[in-house]
Amino acid sequence: MRKVVSTAAVCSVFLAGASIAADNDGLTLPAGFSAVVVHEGQGQARHVDVAPNGDIYIASRNGLSAMRDTNRDGKPDVVSTFGDVKGTEVRVFQNWLYVSDDVGVYRYALTKGQLVPGGARETVVGEFPRERQHSDKTFALDAKGTLYINVGAPSNSCQERDRQEGSLGMNPCPILEKYGGVWVFDGTKLNQTPANGRRFATGIRNAVAIEWNAKQNALYAVIHGRDSIDTLFPKLYTAEDNATRQAEEFHEIIDGGHYGWPNTFFDTKLGKRVLAPEYGGDGKKEPEAGKYPDPVVAYPAHWAPNDLLFYEGRSFPERYRDGAFIAFHGSWNRAPEPQAGYKVVFQPMKDGKANGAYEVFADGFAGDMKDNSPRNAQYRPVGLAVDPDGSLLVTDSQKGRVWRISYRGK
Amino acid sequence: MKARAWRFTAIAGAWLAATCSFAAEPTSGQLLYNKHCLACHQADGGGVPNMQPAIIGGSWVKGDARALALFVMSGGFDSASRKESDVGNVMPPFRQLADEELAGILTFIRQKFGDGASPVSAAEVAAARSSDQDPGTKKPESGS
Repeated sequence: MRKVVSTAAVCSVFLAGASIAADNDGLTLPAGFSAVVVHEGQGQARHVDVAPNGDIYIASRNGLSAMRDTNRDGKPDVVSTFGDVKGTEVRVFQNWLYVSDDVGVYRYALTKGQLVPGGARETVVGEFPRERQHSDKTFALDAKGTLYINVGAPSNSCQERDRQEGSLGMNPCPILEKYGGVWVFDGTKLNQTPANGRRFATGIRNAVAIEWNAKQNALYAVIHGRDSIDTLFPKLYTAEDNATRQAEEFHEIIDGGHYGWPNTFFDTKLGKRVLAPEYGGDGKKEPEAGKYPDPVVAYPAHWAPNDLLFYEGRSFPERYRDGAFIAFHGSWNRAPEPQAGYKVVFQPMKDGKANGAYEVFADGFAGDMKDNSPRNAQYRPVGLAVDPDGSLLVTDSQKGRVWRISYRGK
Repeated sequence: MKARAWRFTAIAGAWLAATCSFAAEPTSGQLLYNKHCLACHQADGGGVPNMQPAIIGGSWVKGDARALALFVMSGGFDSASRKESDVGNVMPPFRQLADEELAGILTFIRQKFGDGASPVSAAEVAAARSSDQDPGTKKPESGS
């Protein structure tokens, strides 16, 4: 009898554990992974990074926040907001916290043992022009502190009249002189302006997801493709074409590279790069062979890649090592067709190249999304980081929810 | 007389379009909204956070029809509303649409997103167009 009771007790504990693990806060994950909510309420959260001691730093459109789990129960019990930077990027680099907003990149000194930076904000690069479109100055840092800043184009497709039906592209596109590319700076120097930087690569509409791959010693980005081929050129493209054809392009970004914006886009239906309708495109005409590189991977249109992370943690299975996680914020420009994206994707990689098709890693963020409207998405994944035990943190821009996705084994 | 009759027909048509929302078929105004406006302002008029503004319940949609017609014709560039808002994208001008098309769209959005505000006639759009400031584009390029 005693044995029966104890077995039942063990079973009930086991089942309770299984149901918690199975719930995963409504997210769907590969077998062996589980998700828990770490925190919620940091406004419109954007990117996230984790210090070697496990402290979590989150950038949001409402400001910066820092979190520490002092009692080691998996959830932060100290949460502080600090500073005056409202933006997207946040990176722990050596003893510094690098952050950015629409017009600059800044840093705070991190003091050992202290969660919130005590010192003043320093400007690394300031005085970028204030723009309305594609203005997040996301960035990557290599081991030496070289700073690669995404300077998005304040334009959809460099039309003479932005987003107006039939307006042709400016040729050459003057926007590329100061925008639409990656600019490189010495990230250890202070009080720089855009004039102190060098245009590293161009033809990049907006690369919110930009990351240094330490193992490959190379820069990568997933680029937001152009919008509205149907409403701007209704004789060439349908709403369904617009919803499905312009890839979100994953590239290795090399010094001097040109990635095709605004002259072209990678057409996922045709599986090749085509001239943009503003630049002589007719729906199938290709640019001069070899002028612009094909992407490492072409992801579906408008999924909105907002963060890229090469997994160097140890707790996920071997096949995840050195592959890439990409947070797709989800579409708006697929309407009236069904919206899509709103998920975290794993891209298997080997030696810096794609090694197989992408896999949906975490899904179910958006919920029912009433009226096919992005504002009704329950959650929208936007930032990624790996914590010291190798788990993946994912941030959300709707409610500021933060999840930790861990591998528990099969 | 002919013009007056046509104007009456247009107003009556706009009124019918606005009030007969129980009909299974979408109105021409709704179809035009779907074609020209929905991608940005979305099916529910809620816009996209940080990108395009919500129009549902907004003062532009509910307010003065002439001001709304002028705003949609001239687009969001340099407008007062743009300075007030924190959204990223600006509305292109829609003065290339015909008076009847704009009237249909405006009537639809006022009915659906503007608490049933009054319909807008093609004549009202035409009157607003005559005071539109953009040189050389006082009239639509074609009838469609």
